[in-house]
Amino acid sequence: MNGNKGQPAIIFDIQRFSLHDGPGIRTTVFLKGCPLSCAWCQNPESISRDPEMAFYKESCLGCFECKLVCPKNAIMDSEEKRVRHEVCDACGKCANVCVSRGLRRIGERWGREKLIQTLLKDEAFFEESGGGITFSGGEPMLQHHFLYDVLPYLKEKGLHINIETSGMFRWERMERMLPFFDLIYFDLKHMDRSLHKTYTGVDNRLILENFLKLSRSFENLQARMPVIPGINDDVENIMKTAQYLIHANSRTIHLLPYHPLGESKLLRIHSSLRALNINPHQPEDLERIEGLFKKEGIDVVIYQ
Amino acid sequence: MSLFISDVKHVSPVEEKKAQNRVMRLKQAVQDAKPGICTERAVIWTAYHKDGTNRRKPVCVQMAEALRNVLLQKTIAIYPDELIVGNFSSKRVGGSIFPELHGVPVLMDIFKFSKRKTNPLQVSGREIATLLKIVPFWMFRFLALKAYKNPLKKIALALHQLKGHFYVINESGGISHIAPDYETLITIGTEGIREKACRTQEKFKKSTAQWEFLEGVKIVCDALSAFGRRYARLAHDMAVSEPDADRKEELLTIAHVCERVPQKGASTLQEALQSIFLAQIAINLESLDNAVSPGRMDQYLYPFYKKDIEDGRLTHLEAKERIAAFSIKMAEIIPVFSDYLTRVHGGMFNGQVITVGGVDREGNDCVNPLTSIFLEVMDELRMRQPNYHARIASVSGTDYLKKINDTLALGSGSPALYNDDVIIDTMTSHGYSVADARDYTAVGCVEPVSQGKSFASTDAALFNMPVVLEMALNQGKKFGSVMRSGTRTKPASEMTSMADVKNAFEAQLAFQIKKMIGDLRAIETANMSHHPTPLTSMLLDGCVEKGVCSTKGGARYNFSGIQCVAPADTGDALYAIEKAVFTDRKMSLFDLVGHLQKNLEDPRMMVYLKGIPKFGNDMAEVDKWTVYVVEQFITQLSLFENTRGGKYVAGLYSVTVHDHFGRVTGALSHGRRKGESFSSGISPVNGMDKEGPTALINSVNRIDSRKIANGINFNLKFDAHTLKGETGKKALQSILNTYFKKGGMQVQVNVIDPAMLIAARDNPDLYPNLLVRVSGYSSYFNDLTPEMKEEIIRRSTICI
Repeated sequence: MNGNKGQPAIIFDIQRFSLHDGPGIRTTVFLKGCPLSCAWCQNPESISRDPEMAFYKESCLGCFECKLVCPKNAIMDSEEKRVRHEVCDACGKCANVCVSRGLRRIGERWGREKLIQTLLKDEAFFEESGGGITFSGGEPMLQHHFLYDVLPYLKEKGLHINIETSGMFRWERMERMLPFFDLIYFDLKHMDRSLHKTYTGVDNRLILENFLKLSRSFENLQARMPVIPGINDDVENIMKTAQYLIHANSRTIHLLPYHPLGESKLLRIHSSLRALNINPHQPEDLERIEGLFKKEGIDVVIYQ
Repeated sequence: MSLFISDVKHVSPVEEKKAQNRVMRLKQAVQDAKPGICTERAVIWTAYHKDGTNRRKPVCVQMAEALRNVLLQKTIAIYPDELIVGNFSSKRVGGSIFPELHGVPVLMDIFKFSKRKTNPLQVSGREIATLLKIVPFWMFRFLALKAYKNPLKKIALALHQLKGHFYVINESGGISHIAPDYETLITIGTEGIREKACRTQEKFKKSTAQWEFLEGVKIVCDALSAFGRRYARLAHDMAVSEPDADRKEELLTIAHVCERVPQKGASTLQEALQSIFLAQIAINLESLDNAVSPGRMDQYLYPFYKKDIEDGRLTHLEAKERIAAFSIKMAEIIPVFSDYLTRVHGGMFNGQVITVGGVDREGNDCVNPLTSIFLEVMDELRMRQPNYHARIASVSGTDYLKKINDTLALGSGSPALYNDDVIIDTMTSHGYSVADARDYTAVGCVEPVSQGKSFASTDAALFNMPVVLEMALNQGKKFGSVMRSGTRTKPASEMTSMADVKNAFEAQLAFQIKKMIGDLRAIETANMSHHPTPLTSMLLDGCVEKGVCSTKGGARYNFSGIQCVAPADTGDALYAIEKAVFTDRKMSLFDLVGHLQKNLEDPRMMVYLKGIPKFGNDMAEVDKWTVYVVEQFITQLSLFENTRGGKYVAGLYSVTVHDHFGRVTGALSHGRRKGESFSSGISPVNGMDKEGPTALINSVNRIDSRKIANGINFNLKFDAHTLKGETGKKALQSILNTYFKKGGMQVQVNVIDPAMLIAARDNPDLYPNLLVRVSGYSSYFNDLTPEMKEEIIRRSTICI
């Protein structure tokens, strides 16, 4: 699907006028598929590598045109759920006939040319604001072939390029693309190997290794941390993270406070994740965490 | 040091506080005043015209003398704390009735004014009785009825105007929409203008039109001087009995100032402001009380400011205090609109504009310390009037740009921004000299004119564009109507391509524009022969020199601005036809029209059509239809010339008429049902711009604004969250810079917290003075109709 050169990418969203994915005004490309499945994931529809169907029950007019066109007989009559994901192959025929966009396909194939054309639409805004393109996901490195294919064209246009990564990639794949990146946002989720595995599904050995390597070979590496109440906001984890950053000679961290908005998406798709049902941090909690980092000599930027 | 930041001398905190307190008290008094209707102009005007001896006089002299009587007989007042004086009406905040223009139709609502929910206007039983007494005299004498001699045509025009299905002609209420040559007024005074008139008059024989017009000018000059002296006497009398020593001194200054101006040229900033305000009142009493715009005040007042400061007569603080006092005075002047006119021109706003910044006549950056004062006054007062505009040139300095950007990012909604490079180009390609184009200001909502030189009737008419498509799909009839109000074109069943649809659309457009121009020219002629305006004309370059009234084409530049309303709805409806019928072949055009005739009662059909992409999302294949609609409008308008020898030019703003036109237009193929509001100005259909501001700007810039000589209104909306902090400010600055670099003409930035609007809707009393941008102008939220409030809320919640 997304393996070889010349193959299209699977993209589940392209967001223009992004102000928080790097400097200036940016267009963020969300690539589908992620090796992690974090319990707090904001974009649970990004985890699966393949296109999938989502059901927006509040948009449904109840006409059941979808049922008539589905070749897999995957449409159910239930009010709450419409798609039998076990049999659905996300061909998208139902979405094509759904006038109210009650059924949508998440993840579309984008060829290189079409993507470049779309990204260049805001070139003037990038130039004026010092912005550019951010590749996000999912884990964009899962589609490294596509990235390797498209990056030289964007670089040639002089665009500022950022990638937001979970750190879960094979080093050689990242290494060959480093000349194209102007900035790398790198998530550090938990310092404890086993807790990392519990909450994200993978252990953090490769991630931490990659961070260290990048910190030595790439200038604009920026650590980020989703702070999740009760999961990674304890003193011990914060201190370890801070020490790790110092070890890697990194002096700032961006904190991404948890919010439950992503969880409302879980009902629309087929996901093994469940809502965490926890309350977001209060501003004073975040100040406390900021204080801990600062004490260790790490500068903090809190998003929003 | 930047010219923009003035050399502010240290002022004591006490003095500063004192000035601030006065300004806040003045503001409070105006905001607390319940707006009302003043009968005086109507009564005095009627008495003059009822007098048989006056009817034999030349019409120019009649107009001048009627205005003179109003200025000499109306109640005058000087309110506590005032530094700049002059009252437009007998109420603190009030409007007048113009029975000879649109007053009779307005008076049909006379019993509703005080009780209506939107914009209630106080009028007592006695005042109602007074006004009703004058109606019979004007019943068959008002302007619209004088447009045609043929009684059938008279009735047709009157009905047409009342329903407003296809277009609304504003000139039937008079013309106005000028930026008067106040520079001349404050330089040579009315006595100087009178002298010029006398010199020209010598060249003409008595009883020629020129001689009569100039006679009118002389009468008006004397009347205006006398109007000033009335205030001088009043101030003097008040000073005598004033116990407070400070106030006594202020009143004596006012008396001294009004003794001199407007008769003489001004010698100080205060005299200049005073002279202008008295003229501002008089112009608003002469003809249509709309869009009389002082314009580039930071420019023509600067020499007075500079001299006062240099001579040590005035401090920066005092200058600011006087300018604030002047600004507040402008908010006392409001229009009296019937319910119908309120739907069309929503909000109690009559288009008085102050424009600051930009380049001078030589093309140099002309921002000065007064520019800064005006921007501060605007931001600190945040009142519904005047409407503040800022010109942005490629040579504008960073201090100026930053000040404006920061003000906007914090949500002031003002000033609206104008791109000098584009507007100057547009004006020169429409016949202005480069220097006169550089000296432009906006009037009314967004319309660029040359200060003191244009008679551009910028809001001559507003044209309902989508209804043309309704008729094109139904052989020249509105859906469900048996009457053919357009021309006969092919039935939908015989249209086999988009070319057929376009042919029908263009034929209907040509028919409707021709009809509108016919009516408009008749009304232009009526204005010319029955309602000349010597005062307006003497403050427009060319009229006195030629001895020709502005209604006859005496001004240096002449235009008529016609607004193309809802181009995005029309373009989207055309694209939906192309996509659904001819590209995707989902249905025949006949079937689609069938659905429209049934008002899209099948929800699937409605939702399907709504889901087809819309203008505003940076999709070339969609946007090209809105571009097509605008270009067709411009092309067809350009075939005509007005009776003053000027071109008809297109504007893309809609005040609030898009809501009214929406109510009277049938279902359309982009999934809009009958009666739903249309899009405002150049904006996409409400809520349909889903890709954010960069995509929206790219779409809007596909329309070549250099062809839109009457100006555009582009609303860029952000929620408060997006523009928070330095990131937000920087992003806004980049967005605006890019928009202008790519050829954008005008933009106004709305930063809105939707929660606050919803709270204001539900508890209007808690938010009496919440200012929102409507269409090229600001209005208090509570002044809007419930429908408009919903629209503003919708706009703010679905921005990004």
